[in-house]
Amino acid sequence: MKYLDLAMNAAESLGAEYADIRIQKTTDQVIYLRNLSLKSAKTIVVDGYGIRVFKDGAWGFAHSNIYSDEALLATVQKAFDIAKLSATVNKDKKLRLAPERSYIASYKTPIQIDPFEIPLSEKVDMMMEVNRTMLAFEGIRQAMFYLIQHKDEKLFASTLGTRLDINYQFIDPMITATAVADGDSQSRTFDEGGRAVGWEWIQSLDLIEKAKQIAEEALIKVKADTLGPEKRRSLILDPNHLGLTMHESVGHPTELDRVLGWEADFAGLSFATPEKLKNYRYGSEIVNFVGDNTLAEGLATLGFDDDGVPGQKWHIIKDGILNEYGSTRDTAMEIGLNYSRGCNRATYYYDQPINRIPNLYLLPGTKPLTPAELIADTEDGVYIQGRGSFSIDQHRVNFQFGGDFFWEIKNGKLFRPLKKVLYKSCNPEFWNSCDAICDERFWRPFGVVNCGKGQPSQTARMTHGSAPARFRNIRVGGSQ
Amino acid sequence: MKTDMIRRFISENCSADDYLFRISETDSHETRFAQNGITQHLAGPKVSIDLTVTFGKKSGTASVNQADEASLKQLIATAEDIARLAPEDPEYMPSTPGAELPEVHNCADSTMNLKPEEMVAIVQKSIDKAKALGATVSGMCEKHISSSFEIAKNGFWGEDKRSTFGHSMTLKLGEVETKVSYEAKDFAPFKLDHEFDRLASQAEALADMHSFDPQKIAVILRPAALQELLWYMFWMMNRRQSDEGFTPFTDQLGKSFFGEKFSLFSTLKNPQIISPSFTSEGLPTAEYSWVENGVLKNMPTDRYWASKQSADPISPYNMYIPGGDATEEEMMKMVPRGLIINRFWYIRPVDMKRGELTGMTRDGVLYFEDGKIKHAVNNLRFNEIPHEMTRRILALGAEELASPYGIVPTTLIDDFNFVDKTSF
Repeated sequence: MKYLDLAMNAAESLGAEYADIRIQKTTDQVIYLRNLSLKSAKTIVVDGYGIRVFKDGAWGFAHSNIYSDEALLATVQKAFDIAKLSATVNKDKKLRLAPERSYIASYKTPIQIDPFEIPLSEKVDMMMEVNRTMLAFEGIRQAMFYLIQHKDEKLFASTLGTRLDINYQFIDPMITATAVADGDSQSRTFDEGGRAVGWEWIQSLDLIEKAKQIAEEALIKVKADTLGPEKRRSLILDPNHLGLTMHESVGHPTELDRVLGWEADFAGLSFATPEKLKNYRYGSEIVNFVGDNTLAEGLATLGFDDDGVPGQKWHIIKDGILNEYGSTRDTAMEIGLNYSRGCNRATYYYDQPINRIPNLYLLPGTKPLTPAELIADTEDGVYIQGRGSFSIDQHRVNFQFGGDFFWEIKNGKLFRPLKKVLYKSCNPEFWNSCDAICDERFWRPFGVVNCGKGQPSQTARMTHGSAPARFRNIRVGGSQ
Repeated sequence: MKTDMIRRFISENCSADDYLFRISETDSHETRFAQNGITQHLAGPKVSIDLTVTFGKKSGTASVNQADEASLKQLIATAEDIARLAPEDPEYMPSTPGAELPEVHNCADSTMNLKPEEMVAIVQKSIDKAKALGATVSGMCEKHISSSFEIAKNGFWGEDKRSTFGHSMTLKLGEVETKVSYEAKDFAPFKLDHEFDRLASQAEALADMHSFDPQKIAVILRPAALQELLWYMFWMMNRRQSDEGFTPFTDQLGKSFFGEKFSLFSTLKNPQIISPSFTSEGLPTAEYSWVENGVLKNMPTDRYWASKQSADPISPYNMYIPGGDATEEEMMKMVPRGLIINRFWYIRPVDMKRGELTGMTRDGVLYFEDGKIKHAVNNLRFNEIPHEMTRRILALGAEELASPYGIVPTTLIDDFNFVDKTSF
């Protein structure tokens, strides 16, 4: 596309040390159904380009939605002027960019059936049927179905000579049933958090059966007991729950921009500071976390990040020890790394890319272990499925999590369903208490499509994953 | 932006029985700094043209961010295609007719005229001041100028312009971290020296840190902290959610459900806060009383649910909580001991039906005893129910601007429920 060359030539002739342009068209279709009423059927197109200029150790970023030579050149000039303005402040604190080579490449999310090609009426009919299925259960007062279909068409060029053509898609269905009884209201949700796949995933899910299951479980939950006072118990967490726990307590603390204090004013800092690399016991010896932006169906699998760095796979926690961070070209150099792990991503064309969590997952246990065997081996505990309330401090140390469905475990058996269970823990206590992880047969991915971070705020996506795992001696109890 | 052209084009080319469209544009300049240097610096306009069309009771919505004829044609075609394929919505409400809108002023010349060079100078001065203390500062200096138009086939026409300026600073001095934030529609009252003095003073007060265990204890919530907590409660006060049994406000309308010292309004009368002249449903805004002296007077209600309940459709657009005359010093003498909270962080619902929230303190917690500040303490986690908390209000201070959308007082509350602590 002529705009790529025009922008890069203009940036170089102005004197940019580095520049890139990202032409990005984002299309979302969002369908939201509540109690058989179509509350939203919306297609949103956001189309434009963002230009980054690096000059004298500082960034300038400008964006526009107008495609013309004149507008493009004015945007390059604006980015350059802003970079020069930033550089007046950064005289003693110049940023540096990790070395990177050039690439000419393309990436396309492998999909079999494009969700955007499925007629809206077919989607809504299916969603209505799911809604009706849930509302057919007496006591279900609210049935919701929220469906997001997303695609990004990106062209990227940099003054390194890189030229990328990236077509990325994901889809995210979420179903919730809410029961009201005995003065209480409880919900149960089917939510795997989205995957970079096509409509074939929706076809494989058997959402009618899922709807029956969550409606039944919402009714069980609303009449379930509460756990009572907090005490130390074992926890068994399923992958659908553990995804969010690892997101908050491992993913964010190991973003290098946070570690460097670049998020101090908003998203916060990290306890996992650089002097802890290669020596800090973050978790027990069976805890291995891998950053993997090559993961099949991963929400952060795009071929390349918005620095033009290819997707990679590396250990963030290795045998329980803090091993490495997720990094970008500008953060890596601050701790003496001469390479980026390719974690710089922007949401829309008008967002300056920032350091984001990669696809990040807990490796499965190496010995054969089924969830049933794990439960049979647990005397006093709680089994948590799905995600609920979550909150963590700004250094990513202290946290409190809920869940979506709970079973009390007594003497190796699922004893009774529960509601309103909360657990409190902190880093590094929590991951060091992990004493068993089921094997790879039970490993499941869990997507996050709404990771908020940055000023101005952006929403990123990434996939987590694990097999069910057990944590000993955690403070678990009922809510207030 | 070519608003008249867009309006004409949609009016002339949309064949639907009914439509509502919104054109909005925000021009922003944002300078983000961290650890005494600029890490991000961005500028540009964001545009959105949203169109909802209806055939009978079948609706569809599309949105684009470009205003050329081809994009507008595509916008109309997409919205109409969606509507034709959609099922009839039993809760459909036709667009609203024209209405007289209240006169509001949400744009400040001082903010409009602020130049990028001046914003960078503010950042430079913030960094210089931090360096002089041997500290680092991180934050964001930002300016946004927005305009939007909302136009309906049945006659509604509304125009909104607003400005916001913000400058936040988080200071790290040794182990102490604390933050101040100025955020308002008007840049003119902003005084960096005053803001930084406040920041330095907070940091100084936090230097002597002691370990403190979670417990129920009196708290003085400064305006930023109280506002963060109460926006979540406001969100849970939705009339339909309550009528259908999902929130603690079920069957409480008209009853004394909050503490009698607590009132909550949305107001057009206070020039410090942003007050739109119309809502997203195409209705004029007015003075709304949500809670008066503890009585739940009104609840946010959309047009459909209002029609079912024979109620007025109303929605919150800003938060005004009338204050009192107690100073922090006087509040500290009203209880034997307590904590002063600057801000909260990561507030999330724990139990929707009970209205229970969790979250952490952030940016400094001070312990006081016998009417005097003794020392700082570690951050704490709370699990608390805000509407029940209002029944434990002991005193209200002078109301202050907490954000462009909120004026709230410093408030003394008894027995605030802290349940855990963190290591810093």
